[in-house]
Amino acid sequence: MNQKPVLKQAFISSLPVLMGYTAMGFAAGVLLAAKSGIRLPALWAFLTSATSISGALQFMLVDWIRNSQPMLDVALLTVCLNIRYSMYGLSLIERFRGIPLAKKLYLIWSLTDETYALEVENKVPPGGDSILYCITLAALNHFYWILGVVSGALAGAALPFPNKGIDFAMTALFLVILTDQCRERKNRVYAAVGLLASIACALVFGAGKMLIPSMILMLSALVVFRKPLEKLESWKFGGKK
Amino acid sequence: MSGTSTEYLLILTAVTAGVTFLLRALPFLFFGTGKRPPALVLSIGNVLSPAAIAMLVVYCFACYVRDRAPAEHMFGLAELAAAVVVVALQLWKRNPLVSILAGTAVYMTLVQTVIP
Repeated sequence: MNQKPVLKQAFISSLPVLMGYTAMGFAAGVLLAAKSGIRLPALWAFLTSATSISGALQFMLVDWIRNSQPMLDVALLTVCLNIRYSMYGLSLIERFRGIPLAKKLYLIWSLTDETYALEVENKVPPGGDSILYCITLAALNHFYWILGVVSGALAGAALPFPNKGIDFAMTALFLVILTDQCRERKNRVYAAVGLLASIACALVFGAGKMLIPSMILMLSALVVFRKPLEKLESWKFGGKK
Repeated sequence: MSGTSTEYLLILTAVTAGVTFLLRALPFLFFGTGKRPPALVLSIGNVLSPAAIAMLVVYCFACYVRDRAPAEHMFGLAELAAAVVVVALQLWKRNPLVSILAGTAVYMTLVQTVIP
Protein backbone atom coordinates (compact mmCIF):
# COMPACT_ATOMS: atom_id res chain seq x y z
CA MET A 1 0.00 0.00 0.00
CA ASN A 2 0.96 3.62 -0.29
CA GLN A 3 3.08 4.54 2.74
CA LYS A 4 2.98 8.29 2.20
CA PRO A 5 0.54 8.91 5.11
CA VAL A 6 2.99 7.07 7.39
CA LEU A 7 5.85 9.41 6.46
CA LYS A 8 3.59 12.42 6.84
CA GLN A 9 2.39 11.35 10.29
CA ALA A 10 5.97 10.63 11.40
CA PHE A 11 6.95 14.17 10.40
CA ILE A 12 3.99 15.69 12.23
CA SER A 13 4.72 13.65 15.37
CA SER A 14 8.35 14.77 15.27
CA LEU A 15 7.61 18.52 15.20
CA PRO A 16 7.74 19.10 18.99
CA VAL A 17 11.10 17.31 18.99
CA LEU A 18 12.31 19.65 16.22
CA MET A 19 11.79 22.59 18.60
CA GLY A 20 13.30 20.86 21.61
CA TYR A 21 16.33 19.25 19.99
CA THR A 22 17.44 22.20 17.91
CA ALA A 23 17.25 24.54 20.92
CA MET A 24 18.89 22.18 23.43
CA GLY A 25 21.43 21.02 20.86
CA PHE A 26 22.22 24.63 20.03
CA ALA A 27 23.00 25.37 23.69
CA ALA A 28 25.22 22.28 23.95
CA GLY A 29 27.00 23.24 20.71
CA VAL A 30 27.66 26.80 21.86
CA LEU A 31 29.03 25.44 25.13
CA LEU A 32 31.37 23.05 23.29
CA ALA A 33 32.73 25.84 21.09
CA ALA A 34 33.00 28.38 23.90
CA LYS A 35 34.31 26.35 26.82
CA SER A 36 36.11 23.19 25.68
CA GLY A 37 39.08 24.90 24.01
CA ILE A 38 39.12 22.40 21.10
CA ARG A 39 39.97 23.19 17.51
CA LEU A 40 37.29 22.53 14.86
CA PRO A 41 34.39 22.49 17.35
CA ALA A 42 31.80 22.05 14.57
CA LEU A 43 33.47 18.82 13.40
CA TRP A 44 33.50 17.35 16.90
CA ALA A 45 29.99 18.63 17.50
CA PHE A 46 28.93 16.64 14.44
CA LEU A 47 30.84 13.47 15.34
CA THR A 48 29.70 13.36 18.98
CA SER A 49 26.07 14.31 18.38
CA ALA A 50 25.67 11.91 15.44
CA THR A 51 27.12 8.94 17.30
CA SER A 52 25.74 9.32 20.85
CA ILE A 53 22.47 11.27 20.38
CA SER A 54 22.31 11.98 24.12
CA GLY A 55 21.53 15.39 25.60
CA ALA A 56 23.03 15.16 29.07
CA LEU A 57 26.12 13.47 27.64
CA GLN A 58 26.60 16.24 25.07
CA PHE A 59 26.86 18.76 27.93
CA MET A 60 29.07 16.57 30.13
CA LEU A 61 31.53 16.07 27.25
CA VAL A 62 32.64 19.68 27.59
CA ASP A 63 33.59 19.08 31.23
CA TRP A 64 35.44 15.88 30.37
CA ILE A 65 37.45 17.55 27.61
CA ARG A 66 38.43 20.42 29.91
CA ASN A 67 39.52 18.03 32.69
CA SER A 68 41.15 15.48 30.33
CA GLN A 69 38.98 13.01 32.25
CA PRO A 70 40.39 9.44 32.29
CA MET A 71 38.46 7.07 29.99
CA LEU A 72 37.41 4.71 32.77
CA ASP A 73 35.66 7.65 34.47
CA VAL A 74 34.09 8.62 31.15
CA ALA A 75 32.75 5.11 30.59
CA LEU A 76 31.33 4.79 34.13
CA LEU A 77 29.78 8.24 34.02
CA THR A 78 28.22 7.50 30.64
CA VAL A 79 26.62 4.41 32.20
CA CYS A 80 25.27 6.58 35.03
CA LEU A 81 23.95 9.27 32.72
CA ASN A 82 22.33 6.90 30.27
CA ILE A 83 21.35 3.84 32.30
CA ARG A 84 17.70 4.73 31.73
CA TYR A 85 18.08 3.85 28.04
CA SER A 86 18.65 0.23 29.04
CA MET A 87 15.07 0.08 30.31
CA TYR A 88 13.44 1.45 27.16
CA GLY A 89 14.15 -1.55 24.96
CA LEU A 90 12.13 -3.81 27.24
CA SER A 91 8.88 -2.38 25.91
CA LEU A 92 10.01 -2.49 22.28
CA ILE A 93 11.41 -6.05 22.05
CA GLU A 94 8.16 -7.47 20.69
CA ARG A 95 7.61 -4.66 18.18
CA PHE A 96 11.13 -4.95 16.76
CA ARG A 97 11.18 -8.76 16.63
CA GLY A 98 12.05 -10.30 13.27
CA ILE A 99 12.88 -7.09 11.38
CA PRO A 100 16.11 -6.93 9.32
CA LEU A 101 19.23 -6.51 11.46
CA ALA A 102 20.33 -3.19 9.92
CA LYS A 103 16.96 -1.60 10.65
CA LYS A 104 16.95 -3.02 14.16
CA LEU A 105 20.45 -1.72 14.88
CA TYR A 106 19.49 1.75 13.69
CA LEU A 107 16.33 1.76 15.81
CA ILE A 108 18.41 0.79 18.86
CA TRP A 109 21.17 3.28 18.02
CA SER A 110 18.68 6.15 17.79
CA LEU A 111 16.61 5.38 20.90
CA THR A 112 16.49 8.67 22.82
CA ASP A 113 13.97 9.69 25.49
CA GLU A 114 11.79 11.55 23.00
CA THR A 115 12.06 9.00 20.19
CA TYR A 116 11.18 6.23 22.64
CA ALA A 117 8.12 8.12 23.86
CA LEU A 118 6.86 8.67 20.30
CA GLU A 119 7.57 5.07 19.24
CA VAL A 120 5.65 3.73 22.22
CA GLU A 121 2.79 6.13 21.46
CA ASN A 122 2.92 4.71 17.89
CA LYS A 123 0.50 7.01 16.05
CA VAL A 124 0.94 5.11 12.79
CA PRO A 125 -2.08 5.53 10.44
CA PRO A 126 -4.32 2.41 10.17
CA GLY A 127 -2.77 -0.17 7.85
CA GLY A 128 0.56 1.68 7.84
CA ASP A 129 3.96 0.10 8.35
CA SER A 130 4.85 0.66 12.00
CA ILE A 131 8.57 -0.03 11.50
CA LEU A 132 8.76 2.51 8.68
CA TYR A 133 7.04 4.97 11.01
CA CYS A 134 9.58 4.33 13.79
CA ILE A 135 12.59 4.58 11.48
CA THR A 136 11.35 7.82 9.91
CA LEU A 137 10.71 9.32 13.35
CA ALA A 138 14.11 8.19 14.63
CA ALA A 139 15.94 9.55 11.58
CA LEU A 140 14.16 12.92 11.78
CA ASN A 141 14.90 13.29 15.50
CA HIS A 142 18.51 12.19 14.90
CA PHE A 143 18.82 14.85 12.21
CA TYR A 144 17.29 17.60 14.41
CA TRP A 145 19.76 16.81 17.18
CA ILE A 146 22.80 16.97 14.90
CA LEU A 147 21.45 20.16 13.32
CA GLY A 148 21.08 21.82 16.74
CA VAL A 149 24.50 20.83 18.09
CA VAL A 150 26.43 21.65 14.91
CA SER A 151 24.74 25.02 14.36
CA GLY A 152 25.38 25.87 18.04
CA ALA A 153 29.07 25.02 17.64
CA LEU A 154 29.30 27.10 14.44
CA ALA A 155 27.56 30.04 16.08
CA GLY A 156 29.64 29.76 19.24
CA ALA A 157 32.88 29.72 17.25
CA ALA A 158 31.91 32.47 14.80
CA LEU A 159 30.33 34.99 17.14
CA PRO A 160 32.22 35.28 20.40
CA PHE A 161 29.70 36.80 22.79
CA PRO A 162 29.89 37.39 26.54
CA ASN A 163 29.30 33.76 27.39
CA LYS A 164 30.33 33.77 31.04
CA GLY A 165 27.91 31.56 32.94
CA ILE A 166 26.58 29.65 29.92
CA ASP A 167 27.78 26.43 31.54
CA PHE A 168 24.82 26.76 33.91
CA ALA A 169 22.74 25.18 31.11
CA MET A 170 24.07 21.77 32.18
CA THR A 171 23.19 22.35 35.85
CA ALA A 172 19.76 23.52 34.72
CA LEU A 173 19.28 20.42 32.57
CA PHE A 174 20.04 18.11 35.50
CA LEU A 175 17.77 20.14 37.78
CA VAL A 176 14.93 19.81 35.26
CA ILE A 177 15.37 16.04 34.95
CA LEU A 178 15.53 15.69 38.76
CA THR A 179 12.44 17.87 39.25
CA ASP A 180 10.47 15.75 36.78
CA GLN A 181 11.67 12.49 38.33
CA CYS A 182 10.67 13.70 41.80
CA ARG A 183 7.08 14.20 40.68
CA GLU A 184 6.87 10.44 41.11
CA ARG A 185 6.83 9.82 44.83
CA LYS A 186 8.87 6.61 44.73
CA ASN A 187 11.76 8.30 42.94
CA ARG A 188 12.23 10.78 45.80
CA VAL A 189 13.70 8.13 48.11
CA TYR A 190 16.31 7.17 45.51
CA ALA A 191 17.09 10.79 44.65
CA ALA A 192 17.71 11.31 48.39
CA VAL A 193 20.11 8.32 48.42
CA GLY A 194 22.03 9.88 45.51
CA LEU A 195 22.01 13.27 47.21
CA LEU A 196 23.34 11.99 50.55
CA ALA A 197 25.97 9.68 49.02
CA SER A 198 27.32 12.37 46.71
CA ILE A 199 27.33 15.16 49.31
CA ALA A 200 29.34 12.86 51.59
CA CYS A 201 31.80 12.09 48.77
CA ALA A 202 32.05 15.76 47.75
CA LEU A 203 33.03 16.63 51.34
CA VAL A 204 35.57 13.79 51.58
CA PHE A 205 37.11 13.76 48.09
CA GLY A 206 36.39 17.27 46.77
CA ALA A 207 34.51 18.24 43.59
CA GLY A 208 37.13 16.94 41.17
CA LYS A 209 37.28 13.39 42.49
CA MET A 210 33.79 12.80 43.88
CA LEU A 211 31.96 11.11 41.01
CA ILE A 212 33.44 7.63 41.03
CA PRO A 213 33.29 7.15 44.85
CA SER A 214 29.74 8.55 44.81
CA MET A 215 28.67 6.02 42.20
CA ILE A 216 30.19 3.14 44.15
CA LEU A 217 28.63 4.30 47.43
CA MET A 218 25.25 4.93 45.82
CA LEU A 219 25.11 1.60 44.01
CA SER A 220 26.15 -0.33 47.13
CA ALA A 221 23.51 1.47 49.19
CA LEU A 222 20.83 0.72 46.57
CA VAL A 223 21.74 -2.98 46.48
CA VAL A 224 22.32 -3.49 50.23
CA PHE A 225 19.29 -1.50 51.40
CA ARG A 226 16.99 -2.53 48.56
CA LYS A 227 14.25 -3.93 50.80
CA PRO A 228 14.12 -1.11 53.40
CA LEU A 229 14.24 1.48 50.59
CA GLU A 230 11.31 -0.19 48.84
CA LYS A 231 9.34 0.18 52.06
CA LEU A 232 10.22 3.86 52.15
CA GLU A 233 8.93 4.38 48.60
CA SER A 234 5.39 5.02 49.77
CA TRP A 235 6.43 7.00 52.84
CA LYS A 236 4.69 10.34 53.00
CA PHE A 237 6.16 13.52 54.39
CA GLY A 238 4.33 14.58 57.54
CA GLY A 239 3.30 11.02 58.33
CA LYS A 240 -0.22 11.35 56.85
CA LYS A 241 -1.62 8.19 55.26
CA MET B 1 46.71 12.78 27.19
CA SER B 2 45.40 16.32 26.79
CA GLY B 3 41.62 16.63 26.56
CA THR B 4 41.87 18.81 23.47
CA SER B 5 44.12 16.46 21.43
CA THR B 6 42.61 14.74 18.40
CA GLU B 7 43.56 11.36 19.85
CA TYR B 8 41.69 12.04 23.11
CA LEU B 9 38.65 13.37 21.28
CA LEU B 10 38.48 10.33 18.98
CA ILE B 11 38.65 7.92 21.91
CA LEU B 12 36.13 10.02 23.84
CA THR B 13 33.70 9.91 20.92
CA ALA B 14 34.12 6.15 20.52
CA VAL B 15 33.78 5.37 24.25
CA THR B 16 30.70 7.55 24.83
CA ALA B 17 28.97 6.35 21.65
CA GLY B 18 29.90 2.71 22.31
CA VAL B 19 28.76 2.65 25.93
CA THR B 20 25.54 4.51 25.10
CA PHE B 21 24.77 2.08 22.25
CA LEU B 22 25.47 -0.92 24.49
CA LEU B 23 23.06 0.43 27.12
CA ARG B 24 20.36 0.87 24.50
CA ALA B 25 21.01 -2.63 23.15
CA LEU B 26 21.12 -4.44 26.53
CA PRO B 27 17.47 -5.55 26.68
CA PHE B 28 17.61 -6.81 23.08
CA LEU B 29 20.83 -8.74 23.79
CA PHE B 30 19.67 -10.40 27.00
CA PHE B 31 15.93 -10.62 26.81
CA GLY B 32 15.30 -10.75 23.06
CA THR B 33 14.30 -14.40 23.39
CA GLY B 34 11.41 -13.64 25.72
CA LYS B 35 13.15 -14.31 29.05
CA ARG B 36 12.23 -11.92 31.86
CA PRO B 37 15.11 -9.94 33.43
CA PRO B 38 16.07 -10.90 37.01
CA ALA B 39 14.27 -8.87 39.67
CA LEU B 40 17.46 -7.28 41.04
CA VAL B 41 18.48 -5.98 37.59
CA LEU B 42 15.05 -4.51 36.92
CA SER B 43 14.83 -2.92 40.33
CA ILE B 44 18.33 -1.37 40.27
CA GLY B 45 17.82 -0.21 36.70
CA ASN B 46 14.65 1.58 37.70
CA VAL B 47 16.03 3.33 40.77
CA LEU B 48 19.56 4.16 39.64
CA SER B 49 18.44 6.98 37.38
CA PRO B 50 17.03 9.38 40.04
CA ALA B 51 20.03 8.67 42.28
CA ALA B 52 22.50 9.33 39.45
CA ILE B 53 20.82 12.57 38.39
CA ALA B 54 20.78 13.78 42.02
CA MET B 55 24.51 13.00 42.14
CA LEU B 56 25.12 15.09 39.01
CA VAL B 57 23.26 18.03 40.53
CA VAL B 58 25.46 17.77 43.64
CA TYR B 59 28.51 17.54 41.36
CA CYS B 60 27.60 20.75 39.53
CA PHE B 61 27.15 22.60 42.81
CA ALA B 62 30.34 21.12 44.30
CA CYS B 63 32.20 22.58 41.32
CA TYR B 64 30.63 26.00 41.92
CA VAL B 65 31.63 25.85 45.57
CA ARG B 66 35.20 24.99 44.54
CA ASP B 67 35.50 27.59 41.76
CA ARG B 68 33.59 30.45 43.27
CA ALA B 69 34.83 30.91 46.84
CA PRO B 70 31.98 32.05 49.12
CA ALA B 71 32.21 35.70 50.30
CA GLU B 72 33.69 36.95 47.03
CA HIS B 73 30.63 35.73 45.12
CA MET B 74 27.96 36.48 47.72
CA PHE B 75 27.86 32.91 49.01
CA GLY B 76 26.60 31.30 45.81
CA LEU B 77 23.61 33.62 45.54
CA ALA B 78 23.72 33.60 41.72
CA GLU B 79 23.77 29.79 41.59
CA LEU B 80 20.97 29.45 44.15
CA ALA B 81 18.79 32.09 42.50
CA ALA B 82 19.17 30.52 39.07
CA ALA B 83 18.49 27.03 40.48
CA VAL B 84 15.29 28.27 42.15
CA VAL B 85 14.16 29.80 38.84
CA VAL B 86 14.76 26.50 37.02
CA VAL B 87 12.96 24.29 39.56
CA ALA B 88 10.05 26.71 40.06
CA LEU B 89 9.49 27.13 36.31
CA GLN B 90 9.70 23.39 35.74
CA LEU B 91 7.18 22.68 38.50
CA TRP B 92 4.87 25.35 37.13
CA LYS B 93 5.15 25.15 33.32
CA ARG B 94 6.62 21.66 32.80
CA ASN B 95 8.54 22.89 29.78
CA PRO B 96 12.21 21.83 30.03
CA LEU B 97 13.36 24.23 27.33
CA VAL B 98 11.77 27.28 28.97
CA SER B 99 13.14 26.32 32.41
CA ILE B 100 16.69 25.74 31.15
CA LEU B 101 16.86 28.84 28.97
CA ALA B 102 15.35 31.11 31.64
CA GLY B 103 17.58 29.74 34.42
CA THR B 104 20.70 30.06 32.28
CA ALA B 105 19.74 33.59 31.21
CA VAL B 106 19.24 34.61 34.86
CA TYR B 107 22.58 33.08 35.81
CA MET B 108 24.48 34.68 32.92
CA THR B 109 22.97 38.07 33.69
CA LEU B 110 23.86 37.78 37.39
CA VAL B 111 27.46 36.66 36.88
CA GLN B 112 28.09 39.20 34.13
CA THR B 113 26.67 42.13 36.07
CA VAL B 114 25.97 42.11 39.81
CA ILE B 115 27.81 39.01 41.08
CA PRO B 116 31.02 38.59 39.08
